[in-house]
Parts: sequence; C-alpha cells; structure tokens
Amino acid sequence: MSVQTPNLEPKGIQGLGKPIKRKEDARFIVGKGTYLDDINLPGMLYMALVHSPYAHAKILNIDASEALKIPGVKAVITAKDLAAAGLSWIPTLAGDKQMVLADGKVLYQYQEVAAVFAETRQAAADGAAAVQVEYEPLPVVVDPYKATDPDAPVLREDIKDKMEGAHGPRRHHNHIWNWSVGSKEETEKALAQSEVRIKQHMVYPRSHPAPLEPCGCIGDMNKATGRLTVYMTTQAPHAIRTVLSLVTGIPENNIRVISPDIGGGFGNKVPVYPGYVCAIVGSIVLGAPVKWVETRTENLTTTGFARDFHMDIEIGATKDGKVTAMKVYTLADHGAFDAAADPSKYPAGLFSICTGSYDFQKAYAEVDAVYTNKAPGGVAYRCSFRVTEASYLIERSMDVLAHELKMDPAELRLKNFIRPEQFPYPSALGWTYDSGDYEKTLKVALERIGYYELRKEQAEKRARGELMGIGISTFTEIVGAGPSKDFDILGIKMFDGAEIRVHPSGSAIVRAGTRHQGQGHETTWAQIVSEELGLDVDKIIVEEGDTDTAPYGLGTYASRSTPTAGGAMALAARRIREKAKKIAAHLLEVSENDVEWVDKKFVVKGVPSKSVTMNEVAFAAYTNPPPGLEPGLETTYYYDPPNLTFPHGAYVCVVDIDKGTGEVKVRRFVAIDDCGTIINPMIVEGQVHGGLTEGFAIAFMQEIAFDEQGNHLASNFTDYLLPTALETPRWETGHTVTPSPHHPLGAKGVGESPTVGSPAAFVNAVVDALAHLGVRHIDMPITREKVWRILRQSGIDSF
Amino acid sequence: MEITLNINGTEKKLNVEPRTLLVQAIRDAGLTGTHIGCDSSSCGVCTVVLDGKTAVKSCTMFAVQAEGHSITTIEGLAQGDKLHPLQQAFHDQHGLQCGYCTPGMIMAAYVLLQHNPNPSEEEIRFGLSGNLCRCTGYQNIVKAVQQAAQMLQQPTGAAADD
Amino acid sequence: MKLEYSGQEKVQAEPEKVWRFVQDPHKVASCLPDLKAVEIKDEKNLVATVGVAVGPVRGTFKFNIELDPRPEENKMLVRLRGGGLGSAVDLTASANIIGQDDQTTLLDWSGVANVSGPAATVGGRVLDAQAKRLIETVFANMGQKMAEV
Repeated sequence: MSVQTPNLEPKGIQGLGKPIKRKEDARFIVGKGTYLDDINLPGMLYMALVHSPYAHAKILNIDASEALKIPGVKAVITAKDLAAAGLSWIPTLAGDKQMVLADGKVLYQYQEVAAVFAETRQAAADGAAAVQVEYEPLPVVVDPYKATDPDAPVLREDIKDKMEGAHGPRRHHNHIWNWSVGSKEETEKALAQSEVRIKQHMVYPRSHPAPLEPCGCIGDMNKATGRLTVYMTTQAPHAIRTVLSLVTGIPENNIRVISPDIGGGFGNKVPVYPGYVCAIVGSIVLGAPVKWVETRTENLTTTGFARDFHMDIEIGATKDGKVTAMKVYTLADHGAFDAAADPSKYPAGLFSICTGSYDFQKAYAEVDAVYTNKAPGGVAYRCSFRVTEASYLIERSMDVLAHELKMDPAELRLKNFIRPEQFPYPSALGWTYDSGDYEKTLKVALERIGYYELRKEQAEKRARGELMGIGISTFTEIVGAGPSKDFDILGIKMFDGAEIRVHPSGSAIVRAGTRHQGQGHETTWAQIVSEELGLDVDKIIVEEGDTDTAPYGLGTYASRSTPTAGGAMALAARRIREKAKKIAAHLLEVSENDVEWVDKKFVVKGVPSKSVTMNEVAFAAYTNPPPGLEPGLETTYYYDPPNLTFPHGAYVCVVDIDKGTGEVKVRRFVAIDDCGTIINPMIVEGQVHGGLTEGFAIAFMQEIAFDEQGNHLASNFTDYLLPTALETPRWETGHTVTPSPHHPLGAKGVGESPTVGSPAAFVNAVVDALAHLGVRHIDMPITREKVWRILRQSGIDSF
Repeated sequence: MEITLNINGTEKKLNVEPRTLLVQAIRDAGLTGTHIGCDSSSCGVCTVVLDGKTAVKSCTMFAVQAEGHSITTIEGLAQGDKLHPLQQAFHDQHGLQCGYCTPGMIMAAYVLLQHNPNPSEEEIRFGLSGNLCRCTGYQNIVKAVQQAAQMLQQPTGAAADD
Repeated sequence: MKLEYSGQEKVQAEPEKVWRFVQDPHKVASCLPDLKAVEIKDEKNLVATVGVAVGPVRGTFKFNIELDPRPEENKMLVRLRGGGLGSAVDLTASANIIGQDDQTTLLDWSGVANVSGPAATVGGRVLDAQAKRLIETVFANMGQKMAEV
C-alpha cells in the first residue's frame, strides 16, 4: 500500500507514454486541497479594496473617517501612505510602471483607490463601502484607434513628456511602443508583384482567463525574525520573490513565497497585482497576517486581461495558390499601464510566429501599443505570449485567401506547408522551427472527420438552403521560452531548475521551479524520473511552489513547463544516473565502462544476469559508497533550452447554423495535435479538451467589452459568459508524434495548443457556412445575434 | 448569532452574522473543500447537498436558513478510506485538473444520480450545467459520472473497466 | 452608461409659487424618493442620502446637489453628483418653468445622467427603466407638493 495515496491503486515503475492516473487527485477528490483561501493564520486580518466607478477621473478627496468608525476596521491606506514606503507605484513586467493605489487620478473603472484592513472580512467590506471618494470625471479613451488622436486626453500624466519608453520612442502621449520585424520594403515589393492579394481587418477581442479560483494573497510579516512569508496564487513564485525583494527592499533570503494549490491560472496568476502589494504592506505596517481574496468582479475587471489585438493583414499569392508574402499591422490596446507579461526583448510577445505553418519567403509585422482607460494586463491567456493572436490571424487569413482563389482551404494549406525536409526551418520573421510534419497531421485530421464526404454533404445542403460549414486550422505554436540568449523577464533568464533527491530506500523527492495549476506535474515529473531512474512512481513525491525549498525557475505559463522544467528534470535524473552508474559498478565489482543501463536496471555488459536496480544503488549511496566517491544521491540541474519548441496541430470543425435563431451548433470537432513525445497521454488529452473548450468560449461567448464611458460590461459571470457542459461540444482528439530534436525527451508542450489553434477553426467553419451569402469574415465572439443579423440582412428566410 | 448546523452528520455550533452565507459558515467551520468562485451564484463550486437529496449552491442560502437541515459536503462523501464511486470515477476518468470545481461538481452529480441513476450523456450535461469547469472541457466529467452510475448500480461497487 | 430623459409636468400652482419652491433646498429635497437624510449647505447646495435599488445593486447613495435657478431665463438648472456602493452618478437637469393661462405652470424638463460602476454594469439591464421612474417620481412629487403649498 502506498503511503501518499491511500485511496488509489499502486502504480510501480511507469515511464513515458503511460496514461497513469494522477497522483495529485488523491487530495482534490476528497476536498483536501489547500488553496489560498483555505489557509488561515492566527490573528489574521482581512483586506478589502475600494474601487473607482469612473474610467478616468481626478481624485479630489478620499475620506476614510466613516470607515474607521466601523467596529473591527483597523486601518485604511491610500496612495499617500504607500508613497511613504516607496510603494505607490511598482514596475510592470513590460518595463512600464503602474499605480498600486490610485495616485491623484484613476485610469480605468474599478481601479484600486484605497485598501481597508479589518478583523473580519465583513468589516473589511463594510469599511470599503464607507470610504468616501470625491472624483472629477475626465474624458475617456475607450477606442484604441482614437487613443493617439491629436486631441486625445492625456492618460498618463506621469510620463506625458517622456517620449522615450522602455521599447523605444513614443510618438504620442498615449503611445507606448512601436515594434516591427522583417523587411517592410522587400515584403511590399513582393506583395506588389503578387498575382493575387487579399486584405483583411480582424479583431482578437479582449478576453479574460477567469480561473474559477480568484487571485489572492496572505502577507505575513514576522517582525521578530524580519521574515516575510507570502502565500500567493502565483504561477511564478520565484520570480515573485525576486520582484518583491526589488520593490520592498527586503533581502530575498528574508522572503518566502508559497504558492499553494492553484484553482486554475491560465496566465491570470502571473503578474503582481495591487491587491498583493497592499496585503503585504498591510502586514508589514500592522504586524499581523493580512489576507486578500478577490471577488469575481475584481478578478474580471482589474486583473490580467488578454488579447485585444486589432490586426490588418495583407497576403500575396500566385494564381494557383502559392503564398508569396505577408504584411501585418496590429494595434494593441494595453489599457492604462503596459503590464503585458512578455519576455523583455519581445514587447509583442512571440507574435512574429504569424507566418504559421506556411513557407512565406517574405514577411513583415509591425505592432503599435497604446494606452486606453482600461485595466492593464496583456497576459498570456493559455497562450505563449501573443501566439494565439498570431495563429488566429494566419489561419483565418488562409481561409480568406482560399475564398478569394476559389480554392479548397485544405488544398491551399497542403500546397503551402513547410515540408518535413525543410526543418530546422528558418522563418522569414527570424525563428528556427525545430520539427514538424504538417501534411501528415492535416491528412490524419481530414481522414478522421471524413472531410471530402462532408464537402459533398455541404454542397447538397446548400442547394437545399441549409447552412453547414467546415473550418480548418493547421496552426504552429512557439513555446518553451526560452533560451537565455534571447529570453528574460526583468533581466532574469528564462531557464528552469529541477532538483532530485533519491533517498536510501529508493524513494525520492523531486522539486521544480515551475508551479502547476492543474497540469498534473506531480504525476508527469514523477513519470520522467521513473523513466530515467527506474524508480516506483508512487515513491516519487513532487513538490513545487515553495521558494524556500524548490530550485529557482520562472514558473508555469506559456506552455513552458515541459520544454524547460521537464528538460531540467530529465537531465537532473541523467546526472543522478551517471553517479549511480559508478555506484553500480562498485556493487557489481566491474569497471564503470562495463556497466550499461538496460530496462531500467544497471547490467554488466554481456552478462544480463548480473544487474542491480536503482533501489539497490540508492541504498548503497548512503550505506556503501565506493571509496573516493561523494556519498549521497541527489542533484540540481538548471536547463537552458537551446531553442524554443514548435508544437503544431490540425483541427477540423463542422458547424450547422439555425437559420431562424442564428445559433451555431458545433456538430463535430477533430483535433490532431503534435506535441512531440507524450509523457502522459491521459493528461495530454485532458489538456486538449480544456484548451479546446476555452477556444470555443473565446470564439462564441467570452468578451470583455466596454461602453463609451469605459464602463466594464463583463464584470461577473452573468455578463462574462463561460461555456457549461451543455453547450461545450464533444471533442475528438488524436495525435501525431514529431519529437523535438533538441529537447532531452523530444517533448514540445501542449497545454495551450488547443486554445491557440481552435478559434480559427470555429470562425472558419461559421464563415464557410455563410460564404455563399458574401460573408468573408466575422469578428469573435460569434454570438447568435451577430449571425442572426447577417442572416436577416442577407434576406434568408427563417424556415 | 448562534446557530447549529448538521454538517456531514456532525453538529457544529457556529456564531454567525445574519448575513453570513452558508458557504462561508461551512468554510469557517473548517470544511474548506467547499469553494467560492463567483459573487453571482453562477459557478457552482460551492454546491453542497441539503437533507441528502437537494443540491444547493451554498452561496444562495444564508447560514441561518440551513439550521435544522442536514448538509453534506465533499468531506462527507467517502466512507472512511473507501471513496464514493463518484470520487473514484473522477480519478479514473481524469475528470479533474486544478480540482477547484471538483467538490461542487461531485456534489451536483451525486444528486443527479439520485434522481436519475442511469442518465444519458445529454442528461448529465444538462444536470451539471450549473457547475462551471475551466480545465477539463467537461468531457471526462461526463465519463466519470457515467462510470459512477455503473458502479452505483453494481452492488459490489466494483470499478468499471476503462 | 449615458441616459437621457425628458418630460412635462403640469403643476396646479402659479409660476411665482413654483419659483419660491425650487429656491428652497428643503422643499426640493423633500421631493426625492426614499430620502434618508439631508444636509443643507446653503440656499443652493445640499447633500442628500437616498435609498436606491437598481437590480441587485441596493443601498444608499449620497448626492451633492446644486440648485441653479435662473428666473431671468425662466429656467431652473440642477446638477447632481455622487454615488454609493462603488457606483457614481452625474446628472444635469434643466426645467423650463412656463406659466400657463389657467393659473397653472408647466415644467418642461430634460436631464442627462452618466452612471458608472456596478449600478451601470450589473444593474444595466434595469437601470434605464429604474432611472426613468426615479426622475419621473421626483417631478411628480414636485408637482404635487408645489400645489399643496
């Protein structure tokens, strides 16, 4: 019987490719997970925040006197109090800075204005409601295209005269940066010479990851020891510790960040939010632990939004459908502060993967970012830094091109794919794709769904006046940031660490700098170690999220855990195996050169009967180490990946549209993913299901919208619609395997592929169903109302 | 004010404000398996079972309204070390990822199977449509409920083949 | 969320009475529905605390109200700013005070309100109807009370 998981079956040695059940389930299925709000400390105070009702306003006065009269309210802090501690503004991940509490003005609706600390959460909430704030409303910028009008109001008074930003010159007081890649001149020339050209404008709307567990934090300053312990819903505890040390001046050794079980992250739990800072400051000032847990409204209105890319694309091709060049211009709405979570060198993330799976000889992409009166963010929502926008853009555009050429969208793709023999493939925008077999993956998907029969069915239905569409997306992702030569966040290189300690009895504890939020690391890391060392999966415990114990790492987001920490874990295990081999040679009384690792055992070459297991070696490492060899069996490995990984996939979607209501029904959805080597196929499939569902949500439901005054129109789950079991389609999944040539296990990462790749498949299917009505593009979310209006405008009868 | 709640068969005396929601009272009583995910009774992560037969979102009830009723939470489902078939099935079918929605989802499924011991996929999807999940896409949750339905119909409680 | 309303209220009183009424902040305040408290700062400024319910957003709002009578233009201006429960309201209203032949007065009013925060976002679906009812009630109360004086 296993001690860790009393309720579950024992597993034994289980390496790569095994669909073993998850070790972490044991606590979750009985309600014994420990999420942030489950942690209560003695003498703990609660914090509630006061928010601005205005999207843009001067603050004339803040009166906390009524709040302080409420029994249990201990203190109210504003920007003035934070300024005394040097914490009224904090640096953002993108080289900008942001207010912690509104400093003189508010720049978006629901911005944090004051923090109230009290003995109970009720008193804190009552206190926040009693704080009186006097505002003078200012003109609001909602439309990013109007942000840089000559007469647009100044949003950021603090930098209005500072025309050199973190990413180069700014050309207007609301302009943040301009970024471009590729040769504009050569691309324009190639476009001008192209026989066919298409142009399309498309918006990837503002969205929000909305994990079911909101963000939260407990600051716990121990004045006796000078140590600050911070419990935080963070996907990147080590980076948070470093940032906290930099902004508070507390030495890093005196800060311990603990990221407990996380109820979903999806990028939402990467940045540092004002609430965290206030709870920590509150604890330092009041000398007691302070807990802050967001309300859902706070989550949706103030923390890390995603997307909001307004894109224009132009593609050139020959008459027979060979693409020649692409040019992209994007306007990025970053809200009031540039807090986008991107690697420092890449202000538009990895958007330059926008050439996708196709062999574009010439390409140029340019992005301008602007300030508006909206919450800051720009997080990688189940996405590797703007890869979602890029994939949607190219996959949607390929359908627009196919329509223009009157070509089948599958045929157009097959004609333009990067071919297997072209890898490693240098893209026109500067990436080196590691591996892929796009044609194979698409053909598997087409076969599985019965593509050509569906096209026949569609033709018949169209003749009868019925609406049916088929959408394809053959995306390529770029994940696993990243190699230290190019990738850092605030100067910290994006490598990751793994530590393995093998105990004398053959069990082990392994730790990583990543932090899972449902991805199953407690199982997959154990599988990697089981594979590499031949230890029982149940005897390997995985620990992440405590900066006092885990090796440094930049965390779990952007599908980077397996490409980075997974590589570190494999290489740490191999380093252990190198040492273990010396001990095995000692036990087998042969030279090290005569020992080989076969079937998860050390065997004397040519004498299969003479062998020792890793359990025996582990015992010897502590009881009978070879003379002259350092005893013990543990190591830490920091893995700096040589390149990113490029997972890809082929998705095909079939929709039927109700002519009367505009309702789109997803009849089938086939997703064939290629994420290289698969560690646990059950977990990979689960990730794909979840990612497809989020892609579905973005395509049809989720949108963070604003009215003209900057009122947030999706501030709770009755306005920000998430799919339930009822509307979520049934997913059909499969995979091809093209290992990454440079990753120690050949793995590429999968958590985000489905969210990245699927929106274009849904939209392509809907547009395909309506193409004969002259429809060429519909912006997401494709609501029933949008489709209904198109149908009515097209004069389609309801029945 | 002082109230007594019967949670998982144990009487708990609690001191609550009249406005305290049932979910908060349950959590303050130390049973943190029941979660909070929204302010609008939309997400269902706080679902508990009232009087053994009704699934309620415990954020839609005041603690004082629950006095005199019995409440079952996720912590009250297993019999000692023996998991309830739903718990076993969620594990077997990979019906959970981050685990945050899982307790509410299992409690909603518990009541669903009481009312309909052999539900179709559509009925399961409809029955769980008050509970949101952001990780799984629901597909494995549906499979888990189907497995649990089978297990509950076999008196031995033997796990179904997967 | 921007809301615009207009309407007419016929008052059974002469314009002189109406002018006396609207220049008395106590009397104006008494026309606010569900008034919880009022503080008269001077003859043109008052602070009123009013019970408000917009869908699920319920509680008290505190408003600074400025009365700006302009008899020479036969016009009364009212500016209101305030809020509560994290919401804010900015309202500008004007009423043309027109004497009628039959010893009565016509209040020809219009108002523009900007509502922000949960009252607009959460209460948005019912806000328009609620706000319209609120403003109509204010003028109806005025019409009634002016006639009583």
